[in-house]
Amino acid sequence: MIRLEAVSKRYGEQVALRSIDLEVRQGEWLGLFGHNGSGKSTLLRILLGLTRPTTGRLLIDGEPPSAAAWRHLRERIGFMPERIAFYDHLTGREILAYFGRLRGVDEQRVAEVLEQVGLTAAADRRLGGYSKGMRQRLNLGQALLGDPEMILADEPIEGLDPQGVHAFFDLLHAGRVETVVMSSHRLVECGPRVDRICVLNQGAVRALGSMEELSRDLQSPVRVHIYPTESANGSLQSTLTELGATAVAMHQGAWVAEVEQAQKVAFLAGLTRCQAQIRQLHIEEPNLEELYFEHE
Amino acid sequence: MNTSDVVLAIARKELTDRLRNRWVWTVSALLFLCTVVIALFGAAPVGVVGGKGAGAAMASLMNLVAYLVPLIALILGCGAIIDEKQRHTLDLILVYPLSSRAYFAGTFLGFALALAIAVVVGFALSGPLLVLWVGVSAIEYLILTFLALLLGTAFLALSFLVSLLSRERGRAIASSVFLWIFAVFVFDLILVGILVASGGKVPATLFGTLLLANPADCFRLLCFQWIGSAATPLGLASVAPSKLPAGLLLAVLGLWVVVPAGASYALFQRRVDRDALV
Repeated sequence: MIRLEAVSKRYGEQVALRSIDLEVRQGEWLGLFGHNGSGKSTLLRILLGLTRPTTGRLLIDGEPPSAAAWRHLRERIGFMPERIAFYDHLTGREILAYFGRLRGVDEQRVAEVLEQVGLTAAADRRLGGYSKGMRQRLNLGQALLGDPEMILADEPIEGLDPQGVHAFFDLLHAGRVETVVMSSHRLVECGPRVDRICVLNQGAVRALGSMEELSRDLQSPVRVHIYPTESANGSLQSTLTELGATAVAMHQGAWVAEVEQAQKVAFLAGLTRCQAQIRQLHIEEPNLEELYFEHE
Repeated sequence: MNTSDVVLAIARKELTDRLRNRWVWTVSALLFLCTVVIALFGAAPVGVVGGKGAGAAMASLMNLVAYLVPLIALILGCGAIIDEKQRHTLDLILVYPLSSRAYFAGTFLGFALALAIAVVVGFALSGPLLVLWVGVSAIEYLILTFLALLLGTAFLALSFLVSLLSRERGRAIASSVFLWIFAVFVFDLILVGILVASGGKVPATLFGTLLLANPADCFRLLCFQWIGSAATPLGLASVAPSKLPAGLLLAVLGLWVVVPAGASYALFQRRVDRDALV
């Protein structure tokens, strides 16, 4: 659908993106993850045609886009900007009606979208009285107005609580949007909800693939939490090291041993030697957050 | 959706915003108040107070327009596009399937309509008083209103340019006030200085051309040509070459709308292309 080939972007001396190769595939939900300043927003702006790459190229449906191709693409996409400040003096219905007129959609469609995002009851209230979650639903409603094939969303869950995040994804699914590209720094909450993850750091892609693929490649150690019995003696710590733990530290009443993935089974088997000193075990596999920080 | 529908939708939104935030009605009230004061005391400089002295009142009205309307227009337009950029709505609109030309045209049209309504309502409210009580010619009053609209639109176009060059609302306001002081006060003082320094030997053609370089002076010269009762010598325009045809003055004032608006659009498009609006 949209492909970036060796795309770099500089703002003066500052490098925002470094040689990005990325394809947005039709029908996939792609998450762009990274800290502030990692290049997520710049990447989205390039995908939207708001910013031109300094080097490299962007292809739409396999072709370098003409003005007509951009226009055609924009008829098929919805965009949710980050930190948008819609007009506080207008009601939710008036805001959607305005953006609807710019898309050529009628009042009926506006009413449908208001219903879809659950804002019908608040539609005639001024935006000044909307909560953060309601504003974000209105932002999503605006993006859904043209019944888009694809939505590009810049930090759409920023500032939402866990329930708000859940509700947002439910609405996005209910909107029957085929393709989604969204940026966020909340990998744990968004990662499992997208098909592919793209981790960006300092303008470069550090990891790209499905959660499964990335987890498979993960090099972070397993953490084994070992809660000693009251009769346990000081030899337990040295035993853990002998069994291959790369680091051992006491944390909240438990010895926490870090073990390489390849040593995991052997380490656990070795623990049987000192099972009399162990009250409880807890194995902590590296999660998405670990993956994220590994690539930072 | 065709382009004209988009332009009208954006213009309607901009106009509605200015009607709702009472900007239009505040400016109308200000103009109404000033014109009523002129109706009562506009002829005071020539020794007449209260409902007499139509010529002097008309000259005062002309000065009111020359000073106040440019300031109103500059302040109105100086945050036009920058405000949208700073609230992130401009990025959103630019991603919609519409041209940046349509967006710019709709925004300018909306602001121009807001200015026009403010001026027309302000002048219309005090019109009966000035025409029936002071004796101002209704035709001349209509001509003055038309020229006020043209002058305001020219300064509105300049304000869009100032806004895009300033990139930030605070700077845009400061630059607008500076531009207003220059156009309304300083420019004429410079010309007077040139006249005095040269002992009045500045060629008439050059002097006339210099006057055309300021839309406020174009307005004054047109007033002197079209509004006979305001011919009381006021300002530098009274010493201007009398041979400048009204058609030329009108065309130049029109260019003061078209050229800054065109330059603003070109700058806007360039900044959009470079993603460098703010």
